[in-house]
Amino acid sequence: MSIRHAACVDRVLRPVHRWIWGDGDRRVRKLLAFAEVETGGGRDILRAAEVTPDLYLEHAIDELHHGDLFRQRSAALLRARALRTASIFDGNPLPGGHGLDDLAIGNEADDRLLAFLHIAEKAAAHRFSIYREVVDDDPETRAIFEEILRDEVFHMNYTYTQLARVSPQSYRRQIWRARASRFYKRYLRCAIRCGDAVASVLLTVQYFVVLPPFAWFAKRAERREASGWVSIDRPAVRSARSQY
Amino acid sequence: MNILGVSAHYHDSAAALVIDGMPVCAVQEERLSRHKNDAAFPAAAIDWCLDHAGLAPAALDAIVFYERSMLKFERILTCTLRAFPRSWRSFPHAMKNSLGEKVWVRGIIAAHLDVSHRKILFTDHHASHAAAAFFPSPTEAAAILTADGVGEWATLTCGRATRRANGRAELTLERELRFPHSLGMLYSTFTAYLGFAVNEDEYKVMGLAAYGKPSMVDRVHKLIHRTPDGAFALATEYFEFQTSASRSYSRRFVDLFGPPRSKYDPIDLDTAEGRRFADCAASVQRVLEDVLVDLTRALHGETGLSDLCLGGGVALNGVANARILAESGFDRVFVPPAPGDAGCALGAALYADRIYFGNPSREIPDHPFWGPPVSASDLATVAREDGQLFEELDEISLIEYVADALASDRIVGWMEGPCEFGPRALGHRSILAAPHRHEMRDRLNRDIKHREEFRPFAPVVSTEDAHEYFDLPPGGARLGRFMSGVFPVRPQWRNRLAAVTHVDGSARVQVVEREMAPRLHRLLDAYGRRTGLPVLLNTSFNVAGEPIVTTAMEGYSTYRRCGIDVLVAGSTVVTKRGAAALLMKEGMAWPSQGVVESGVA
Repeated sequence: MSIRHAACVDRVLRPVHRWIWGDGDRRVRKLLAFAEVETGGGRDILRAAEVTPDLYLEHAIDELHHGDLFRQRSAALLRARALRTASIFDGNPLPGGHGLDDLAIGNEADDRLLAFLHIAEKAAAHRFSIYREVVDDDPETRAIFEEILRDEVFHMNYTYTQLARVSPQSYRRQIWRARASRFYKRYLRCAIRCGDAVASVLLTVQYFVVLPPFAWFAKRAERREASGWVSIDRPAVRSARSQY
Repeated sequence: MNILGVSAHYHDSAAALVIDGMPVCAVQEERLSRHKNDAAFPAAAIDWCLDHAGLAPAALDAIVFYERSMLKFERILTCTLRAFPRSWRSFPHAMKNSLGEKVWVRGIIAAHLDVSHRKILFTDHHASHAAAAFFPSPTEAAAILTADGVGEWATLTCGRATRRANGRAELTLERELRFPHSLGMLYSTFTAYLGFAVNEDEYKVMGLAAYGKPSMVDRVHKLIHRTPDGAFALATEYFEFQTSASRSYSRRFVDLFGPPRSKYDPIDLDTAEGRRFADCAASVQRVLEDVLVDLTRALHGETGLSDLCLGGGVALNGVANARILAESGFDRVFVPPAPGDAGCALGAALYADRIYFGNPSREIPDHPFWGPPVSASDLATVAREDGQLFEELDEISLIEYVADALASDRIVGWMEGPCEFGPRALGHRSILAAPHRHEMRDRLNRDIKHREEFRPFAPVVSTEDAHEYFDLPPGGARLGRFMSGVFPVRPQWRNRLAAVTHVDGSARVQVVEREMAPRLHRLLDAYGRRTGLPVLLNTSFNVAGEPIVTTAMEGYSTYRRCGIDVLVAGSTVVTKRGAAALLMKEGMAWPSQGVVESGVA
């Protein structure tokens, strides 16, 4: 299996991608976002390496390395723009998160994990192949995409081979299930964002309609508060069952 | 009596179990979930504690949450109302954040453990801090000061605690300062302004401060002024943390100190901008220290006690702790290994045991090792499967081998027994290295920790040798027990301790007592015999962005993907092939004696 061309949708969206990557600020932001995603994904795979019998360690190391590459490149672009040279802080703090897909490593069977990784690597490889093309004005960033693309294709292939070995009877079904799961998680993220937005609107309306009289009382009480020490005289022992 | 303490939802969540007045185990959720500073409900930590003690949830007499969640919600709502209408953006965020999970703690605990609501108790946030600081400390009576960002309403409390001859304990917090007047929030605001992560990177501000001059103290004093009763108040017009979820400083703050630093911008001390940031850090650090010294000096005069227990996240500031010890008048200062919110899990359980149930106070082992243990055989198994060089050695051979490796500039991942409870690696999940040269510090930063160059590494030294190399005041060794104080390296040793000496000549030294960590103590002795300098560099066993390792497998995966040469878990030693070949070339081959089992794939 190899990735020679980007996916159909990405080919159609090529002008959009070119527009996004054409701007220096957006380019840095995209690279930093990729750094976070790759590092987060790397940590998930690392966890798999630590809690499952199969060793995914090399894969995790690759993903963490990709995160570093993206971070270093974005830091270099930032430095070049700021005309700064030596520093005691290289401007690339490592993010502390995990992957987007909320992968519960401990609960995933081997074949499901492999199918998930295969689908994720394939999607990344397609996407990176078009990014490689649209950053042809920036050879260093292009080189990073090429290196990572090679790794992603290797990961895509090894996960597929392993999946076929682990589940010779059902590997195709697992791949379809992983696709469906990925789609469902995307839907969930979208639904949560929509729900969040609706809740924000409702709460904002309540804020302006319901809260003003209470706000008046709260401000009046605040004006009466003296600054400095407040003595503690509440009976802590008697109120151990109270959340107040 | 079996009491489970729980802290959750704001910083690093944790669980701790106290049985018959004695802590049995305690662990932060991040060590099990592998999400750094995991603030989620600590389901895994609770389950591990119960498993470790062999208890079913029904056998628990009480589950104590470390703060009063509805009181905290009241504070959030009140502050939002006070800031009306400027708080319109933060109100939806605050409500969703609180009403989604945080105020339903009783139900969440009851549902997770399937226990009666009546067993679930609550303590005040700062009472939990105070209990975590006082009860495990070897003192009979102490003044107490707790300071953090904010609990329910309190941001700083003062009080005292005693153990009576009949075993009964008393802990009284007498007065408090209330939100938004908070030393922790002042420091966190500067943390955000300097482009670091709030509630996580405050120690970077402390590290950066050493590079700057406190030339902006006057400006910082515009943000914080002393009140006539000896307390302090923040000038709220310079802050937005009380009204905004996304920004903690106001436009006036920026007018006063200049443009903030983006987290992606480098700090370059050769530029005026870089020096300005370092000076900001030095100035807020100086003001924090001055205020704390004043408060503790007053507390000493008021109580007449010789011991002080410090709790809350502010007690992680080792430079301030050292100044408190030197200038407040207290003879001894006790800071627990987990003074932050994670430690409140243990504090809440101890508070309920001693104060609420009135059980007699018992002496608690004076160590931080309450977490999951490491398994030497697990490391041997994974090394064998992965085709790595490994050996199982007896104690003497292992110490000699590791001391040899350290003396020839190898970096050692050191895992032993139960992991530490709290943010510091104190010798059970540590990366150890030779402390002599700058190159070692740069190598650790580059190949292992992947972190900012300005952050110093800490030394570890035995109690017997500490005064030879470090300028410890009386009581300094106690503060250094859990790496809670920063002290000067003696000038004549600074060149030979270059990797652990900060730019201002100081070090956050860990002073190891033989009884607390006998194996590490033996290693220091063995290393000292080889190099004439019984001091090691000790940094936490993790890479940037990840929690400290817990299990042998996590240690192994970290060892495999960074520049650690030798990995030790219990009696098992794994050595990278390159390092092993070099050791052989230098005449330090695998030990021929003391080998229990070996494997070379």
